[in-house]
Amino acid sequence: MLALLFKNFIRSKGTKIGLLFLFLIGFISLLIGKQFQEKQTKNIAEAAEYQKEHIARNAAFHKAEIGLLLYYVKFSLVNKTFPINSLAIGQRDVNPSIQSVTIRGLEGQKYDSELNNPSNLLLGNIDFSFVLVYLFPLLIIAFTYNIVSEEKESGTWKIVATQTDNTFLYILKLFYIRILSLIALLTIVTFIAIFILNIPFNKSLFTFYILSILYILFWFSVCFFIVSLQKNSNFNAVILLTIWLFLIIILPATINTYIVNKYPVPEALELTLKQRNAYHEKWDMDKQTTLDKFYKHYPQFKSYTLPDKEFSWLWYYAMQQMGDDESAIQSKELETKLTQRNHASQTIAQFIPTLHTQIQLNEIAKSDLGNQLLFMQKTKEFHEKMRLYFYPKIFDNAPVEKENWSKFKVETFSDESTISFTKSFVPLLLFNLLLIGFGWRNFKRNVF
Amino acid sequence: MSLHVEILIAKHLKNSAFKNSAVFIITFFIGILLAYAVFSGWENYTNQNETSAKYQHESREDWLKNPDKNPHRMAHYGNFAFRKSTSLSVFEFGMEPFFGNAIFLEAHKQNTANFSEAGFSNSMLRFGEISIAMILQILLPLLIFFFGFNSVAAERENGTLKLLLSQGINWKQLLLGKTLGIASVIMILFIPTIIVLVFIWLVLQSFTISFDETIKMILFIVFHFLYLIFFCVIAVLISAFSKTSKKALISLIGIWLLFTIILPRVTQAIGAYIFEAPSKIEFNSNIEKDILKQGDSHNPNDLHYKAIKDSLLAVYKVDSVQKLPFNYSGFIMTEGEKISARIYNRHLDTLLHVYQKQNSFSRAMSFLNPYIAMKNLSMALSNTDYDSYIDFQKQAETYRYNMAQKMNALQIKYISNHKSKPALIGKDHWGEVKEFHYEPKGIRAILKNEITSVISLFLWISLLLIFIKIASKNLKAI
Repeated sequence: MLALLFKNFIRSKGTKIGLLFLFLIGFISLLIGKQFQEKQTKNIAEAAEYQKEHIARNAAFHKAEIGLLLYYVKFSLVNKTFPINSLAIGQRDVNPSIQSVTIRGLEGQKYDSELNNPSNLLLGNIDFSFVLVYLFPLLIIAFTYNIVSEEKESGTWKIVATQTDNTFLYILKLFYIRILSLIALLTIVTFIAIFILNIPFNKSLFTFYILSILYILFWFSVCFFIVSLQKNSNFNAVILLTIWLFLIIILPATINTYIVNKYPVPEALELTLKQRNAYHEKWDMDKQTTLDKFYKHYPQFKSYTLPDKEFSWLWYYAMQQMGDDESAIQSKELETKLTQRNHASQTIAQFIPTLHTQIQLNEIAKSDLGNQLLFMQKTKEFHEKMRLYFYPKIFDNAPVEKENWSKFKVETFSDESTISFTKSFVPLLLFNLLLIGFGWRNFKRNVF
Repeated sequence: MSLHVEILIAKHLKNSAFKNSAVFIITFFIGILLAYAVFSGWENYTNQNETSAKYQHESREDWLKNPDKNPHRMAHYGNFAFRKSTSLSVFEFGMEPFFGNAIFLEAHKQNTANFSEAGFSNSMLRFGEISIAMILQILLPLLIFFFGFNSVAAERENGTLKLLLSQGINWKQLLLGKTLGIASVIMILFIPTIIVLVFIWLVLQSFTISFDETIKMILFIVFHFLYLIFFCVIAVLISAFSKTSKKALISLIGIWLLFTIILPRVTQAIGAYIFEAPSKIEFNSNIEKDILKQGDSHNPNDLHYKAIKDSLLAVYKVDSVQKLPFNYSGFIMTEGEKISARIYNRHLDTLLHVYQKQNSFSRAMSFLNPYIAMKNLSMALSNTDYDSYIDFQKQAETYRYNMAQKMNALQIKYISNHKSKPALIGKDHWGEVKEFHYEPKGIRAILKNEITSVISLFLWISLLLIFIKIASKNLKAI
């Protein structure tokens, strides 16, 4: 019986075209992911090469003053891109994965954006997560919206009902073969992805896969529930597409607007103005006052006193430091707001399976806002480390050639934050159970 | 020619439109969404523009408040260009969330436009945004399809089609009547929306509207109207050609998905895949290399700058730069700025050319997909498209360049070559640099730029008219 049902399903031209289309676009998404991965690798290699040349050139050029040299020299920190990132590119196209900073004020450099074609950003990447979140549901809807209703409309349902002892089991079987085909498709694409993108078998991949399956099951549950209402095919198609539209476009967009308006970030602009003034005004102020503030932040440098000169690097870097110190409140505020945004969107997303899946996939792939915030924080630590290393050398005016400049390689930050199974799976599981439960009840009431 | 029959058919369709409860619910929700879109668009717009105006003003005040100082210090103190939105962007957000909102403008350095909404978002933005334009361009066509899928097919299914045709109604009248019927249902949503739209638009400009803005608004309305009408035509045609209403519905949903969701993304992705844009690191290091090739203004032995120095000394018949009648380092910086800006602009043009090639796929696709044509046109009219953003960045760069050169000129004129004299100029000079003012592209430039979209929309209209003609002759009642 099951084999026959499967044959009947797979023989239909629509099924074949649908599955083939999804497979093809899934494959294309992997190629796009592959290109993204290659680009990231290339960028990192270039950054390493560039930093080497850049430091060597500047060190050869500004031999006399280490203070002047460090005005120019940039050090890079890389936000590691894991292979699985290619499946869910997320925010990694908007936000730079490499931060290059001088030891001057950080706030003026931290937010520099990536070069981008806004048209690409507007339409978004066709990465695997897009195929999963947007397109899989469409095929699921196309495969299931007319289960029962089609047979009723063509008059064959009565035959089915008289020939099978358990019509409910028959319906379940219809769903079962459709679920199996789509999960098989997902598995095939995942295997190709593992092969093409060199994704290691680890917890991330496992979570990604299970989450994908749960998401597919969610849409089957939705269709199961709608089919259980036993309306006509046209009604089912309209209502399922509307549900899709709500879950994919309308609700996420509404929530986005809500979050943006709830946590506005004027701090971003205030911060830039503040850090500019805080640094520049010091040129026209009493040098000792600036230095006193500097000593307050770094008591360990108290022994370096202001030389009796028009200009000194100690004073210059103290001024730069003030740009950061005096805009620290706004910077902190901005960070808090963004953390709140991230938290709020994750909390609300738990109730919207599409959004939840997208955000979780991005989190697994380390391409979400959380990863970006962590990277910003690491950039700050990295910047501080470089500062503290060079400050005493600058204040002593240590000879440039004494320093082994080739040791300053590009550093890498690897986001190792773990994924919680409960957080990822439970919302979807609950939705699935609820919908199946209600659908079951409807069928029990009406079919027989 | 009397349209009596057509109007009768239209009235009949209109009266039975809301019999399907699902469609009624959807229409109701879209109505609520429209209200929400107006509200959030308004809030977004006022927030964006108030913030941008506030900080533009504040940064200007800060600039003017600077005490007497060396003009080169001021060139590094710099200015900001904050992006402002045009009033039509209340209804069409376009690419705005992906635009940087502020560019820091200083000497020697072209900074990136920072703080885009997208950078501060948790990928939710990628699902799209709710704006009036999005509802008009994506949701209403779907609603039209929901209204129209059974317009003819259902009559065929239950046999009333034969009755209609045998009563002397011809196919052309039937198709036109059905189209009118769907259009009149859609107008229940469209007309109030447009009235609210125009009202808000007037309020935002405090009822003093410019000619340019008025033309943009009128085109915005007219093109959306035409766009919706031809979705009505598509719905009726597909329904007329389908054996059953179910088949019509599935075909129409397929067309909708292809037009609004799948094709736009796929074409852009193909463009981006084929024409790979350089990364920021690559872009910047190429510029740096070219500038070094041209000469380094910091290096006293650099050939390029040594030649300038020697010729200056020869012309003014002096033996050292200190004896020149103007400030030498100011002169050299003017030259340096000129060279670096030229190199930067050359690289930027190459980069923008790559972007344009990426976008060319979508642009060409607008002939196959009216949604892309409409989207491009409405984004252009509201100055939220790619070109407007590039235009903003270019205006900011021009401003930056002029500011830096103005400061260099002040240095050449007023600062002495001798280190012993104070290298300061009076603060009243700061006002000589005018405030940055972004001038959005005018309607002429927009239409010239979007000529493909306009042509493709008109092509679509004529194509559909031809289709109605052909269909009237070939359609069968059974």
